[in-house]
Amino acid sequence: MTRTEHVAIKGTREGLVLYLDPTADFGLLMNELDKLLEKSVQFLQGATVQCFAGQKKYTKDEHATLSTVLGKYRLEHAGWLTTEEVYVPSKGQAFATEGKETHHWEDGMVEGSCLFVERTLRSGKSVQFAGHVVVMGDVNPGAEIIATGNIVVMGSFRGVAHAGATGDRNASVSAYYLAPTQLRIADLVTRAPDDQDDGRGPEIARIKDDQLVVDAVIMNGRRGKVR
Amino acid sequence: MGEVIVVTSGKGGVGKTTTSANIGTGLAALGHKVVLVDTDIGLRNLDVVMGLENRIVYDLVDVTSGNCRLKQALIKDKRFENLFLLPAAQTKDKTAVNPDQMKLLAAELKEEFDFAIIDCPAGIEQGFRNAIAGADRAIVVCTPEVSAVRDADRIIGLLEAAELMNPKLIINRLRPAMVKRGDMMDIADILDILAIELIGVVPEDESIVISTNRGEPAVMDMVSQAGEAYRRITRRIKGEEVPLMNLDAPKGIFDRLKKLVGIR
Repeated sequence: MTRTEHVAIKGTREGLVLYLDPTADFGLLMNELDKLLEKSVQFLQGATVQCFAGQKKYTKDEHATLSTVLGKYRLEHAGWLTTEEVYVPSKGQAFATEGKETHHWEDGMVEGSCLFVERTLRSGKSVQFAGHVVVMGDVNPGAEIIATGNIVVMGSFRGVAHAGATGDRNASVSAYYLAPTQLRIADLVTRAPDDQDDGRGPEIARIKDDQLVVDAVIMNGRRGKVR
Repeated sequence: MGEVIVVTSGKGGVGKTTTSANIGTGLAALGHKVVLVDTDIGLRNLDVVMGLENRIVYDLVDVTSGNCRLKQALIKDKRFENLFLLPAAQTKDKTAVNPDQMKLLAAELKEEFDFAIIDCPAGIEQGFRNAIAGADRAIVVCTPEVSAVRDADRIIGLLEAAELMNPKLIINRLRPAMVKRGDMMDIADILDILAIELIGVVPEDESIVISTNRGEPAVMDMVSQAGEAYRRITRRIKGEEVPLMNLDAPKGIFDRLKKLVGIR
């Protein structure tokens, strides 16, 4: 993604969203937008764009200018987004100070800052992070991970997990072998069933209809942990 | 230049002291110059297990605080000329020594001995930090119980944080018959969680209790399974490749006869 100071374009499942810095001068914004689109014109051509500029309201003339600039690159302006639509309602302000990296779109936890832990977490170890956590190893019983985003473990997960710790119900916990002591997502808590069956494949836990549900994850050509 | 090896576990009662005594005696029996250091200040046991408690004059705290020279505190073993014990103090507590003093002591011991085996106290507090301060290598002792495995896991994490990498694992007091019935964690279960190199499995053996009470390490017992297990561990510590013992071999009448006569 091309980095400019006051404008940014990000992809979501509903299409492109154009972010305009509400504090910046409109002329400057259009200038930057022009440059940004020039660089990425082939990639973006023909798409529809929704715009977001916080609480800021622009004049009719400014709207027209924006549409012209977009039209120049054959982009269609598809209206404005409100703050509520851009931020996940329950989080909203929690991430306002984190900057652009940790914006959570409507569909939830698709991007954001991420912590890679490149070793096994043993008993007594606690990892807390504002964002996603990926562990390249196991998480043993007695260890815990608390993340405001998703948790992914490339190994066996036997410790305590809390994903979406600041209340994000779109968060998920996935592991190559998922057998946590306790699993929490946002405000829901559950524990593994007492009769554990070994040899299951990779699984993902997320919230569906106010319930924590664990599903198998299909990975290409791989079928579960070899035991 | 010798090597300092700390024997630790986190949980109490899993056999750190017994393991230390047997590894030390085993290495001495192979001709190395060995010193056993008891760092369990206030709860000293290693001297009793070695049968040397009535010879203690000076102890670890006397050495680290400069009350006596190292040579004065070392107690020569009954059986081996080249095996020594540095006992812990019984009347003080863990705060009587600090990690820096232990580092100095370890450096001094390395000059003199081929191996210094440090018997670590249970827990993760100052006693543990003292014990690992001067160590080059660590051996983690664990029994096939979830609580012991949990604590061993924590200890491995703490060892790695203290830059004592690649600790080795000894599984102690395994009962093959119970494992077979599915009533006890098996070796694979433990290794699955701890994921460190296994250097020995010691079966539960009555002879350990007997030898501990007598003050004679089981490693010198040529008949018992535990003695054999410790001899193999000793050789692995020296870097030899030794296969793990076959613990579930059925004991037939001939084995029992052999045991009676004392040949293997």
